[in-house]
Amino acid sequence: MDEAVSVPVPAGAPSPVRVLVADDEDDIRALVCLAVAKAGCTATTSVADGGAALAHARAGQPDIAVLDVSMPGMTGLDVCTALRADPATAGIRILLLSAGASSDDVARGLAAGADAYLAKPFGIAALVRQVRALSAGQPA
Amino acid sequence: MTTIDPRPAPVRAVRVPRPRAGSPDPRDAELDRLRKENAALLAQERTRADELDVATRMLAARAQTMTSVIDAVTEQSIIGTDRDGVIRVWNPGAEKMLGLPRSEVVRQRSIVDFHLAEELDAQAETCGSAPGLAALVHAAHAHGSDVRDWTYVAADGQQRTVSVAVTPRTDDRGVHAGWNFVGTDMTEARATERMKDQFVSLISHELRTPLTSILGYLELVLEDEQPLTDEQRKYLTTVERNADRLLRLVGDLLFTAQVDAGRFSLEPHDVDLAGVVRAAEETARVAAATAGVRLVVDLPASGLVVPGDAVRLGQACDNLVSNAVKFTPAGGTVTLSLRSAWAAADGTVSAEGRPGASPVAQLAVTDTGMGIPTGEQGKLFTRFFRSSTAQRAAVPGVGLGLAITKAITTAHGGTLDLVSAEGAGTTFTLTLPLAAA
Repeated sequence: MDEAVSVPVPAGAPSPVRVLVADDEDDIRALVCLAVAKAGCTATTSVADGGAALAHARAGQPDIAVLDVSMPGMTGLDVCTALRADPATAGIRILLLSAGASSDDVARGLAAGADAYLAKPFGIAALVRQVRALSAGQPA
Repeated sequence: MTTIDPRPAPVRAVRVPRPRAGSPDPRDAELDRLRKENAALLAQERTRADELDVATRMLAARAQTMTSVIDAVTEQSIIGTDRDGVIRVWNPGAEKMLGLPRSEVVRQRSIVDFHLAEELDAQAETCGSAPGLAALVHAAHAHGSDVRDWTYVAADGQQRTVSVAVTPRTDDRGVHAGWNFVGTDMTEARATERMKDQFVSLISHELRTPLTSILGYLELVLEDEQPLTDEQRKYLTTVERNADRLLRLVGDLLFTAQVDAGRFSLEPHDVDLAGVVRAAEETARVAAATAGVRLVVDLPASGLVVPGDAVRLGQACDNLVSNAVKFTPAGGTVTLSLRSAWAAADGTVSAEGRPGASPVAQLAVTDTGMGIPTGEQGKLFTRFFRSSTAQRAAVPGVGLGLAITKAITTAHGGTLDLVSAEGAGTTFTLTLPLAAA
């Protein structure tokens, strides 16, 4: 199920921002990967469920994780909480994507330790802005 | 009960000496008087006995009427208890709901036996009362009556969600004698409500996901570096506009469900209404130009700040303006006018401040459209209601906008009114309390 997309980095370039994308919807996962690429992030790994996201985050130590909230099994919120609880992964910047758009949903996402939250459907421009801001090390 | 023997009282035997022959005996007269007196007493006693008989029968008939009424209630449980909660009245509705006959319950069981202990404990904690019966009747004791959902546990252990009206009962001298519990089984109704809630949020999620794909990829195509032909751009813009419309509909349905479930919360901040009105005008500008409708905006020089949720207020304002544009034929005008005013305690609003009046902001959205028939104006804020004029003119919509606008207004402590004449136009007036200075 895992689908790793690695783009070779030209020698001498600054080390690229590594992004982990997790969404169970193939079309949306691809869309998020395109937006992440538009934001200038070239090293992206994408997975289709929460368990794989957590495993990849622990093994690969990405800079940014873009997680869908409603995934079967381990949800994006669960992954977020697990990453924050482990000192080895606590520093990963996390952007949550969710179809829940109420203020409760946002509050739950931020309480789980997310740095930013985007409601579906998100504009590509907005997603690109968020990823750029997170890769620059600032909350958007 | 005292009983009265209707038989004639025995006449006392009076031993009288024999009178001498030939002379009238005075004892005969005395005897005659006594006989008459006796007959009168007897008659009086008979009348009283008859009266008592009638009264007894009337009372029995009345009790019979009450019992038969209570017994006829088979879909509601009627349970009466004494002050300690011991059951004294148990109607067929209670038998049916809780699965026990009257003979096994009356004077033997307590009302508390049929409640969920955890629920009573939780209620006791919430209202700070003693556990058990005290928790059950706490609100009814304080307010005279109380209606709320409780879980009844039937004889077979099955749980029912029951809306129970609790009232205190008094005896014929007005002394508190116990409690009445009239229950309606809401198990199915509540389950349906929950299912509707889950259904709406599932649908909302399931529709948002494909819409995310549609809108996202459209955005990529429309902003691609390779230019599209004008025709392609026009087609894709149409797709985008309709996907947006679908998205708004999903949002409106979800919002309506949240209002229903009481899960609609506002995030109040200071909101400048003038900015909200300007944004609504901007949003409606293209549609108005296309429809040949002139938009006029009249704003106060300084803004008007109300405490509120900027997103929701924007939605309310957008709804009013887009409605006005939709219902106005080409050549017409839609006017958005915002002003500060004073609302008196009786709800009347005037431009001048008066003692006791509080400052409000008033937004009037006036159109020169087809108007709303007088008979339909009261139903206008009802969900899914569409006016006959809207249907005749085939104006698109599902009838959620005004219901949502009304809910948002109410949540802000404001009012939404309308004045309309068929064929002449409509004015919606949104009145909101201003931020305390």
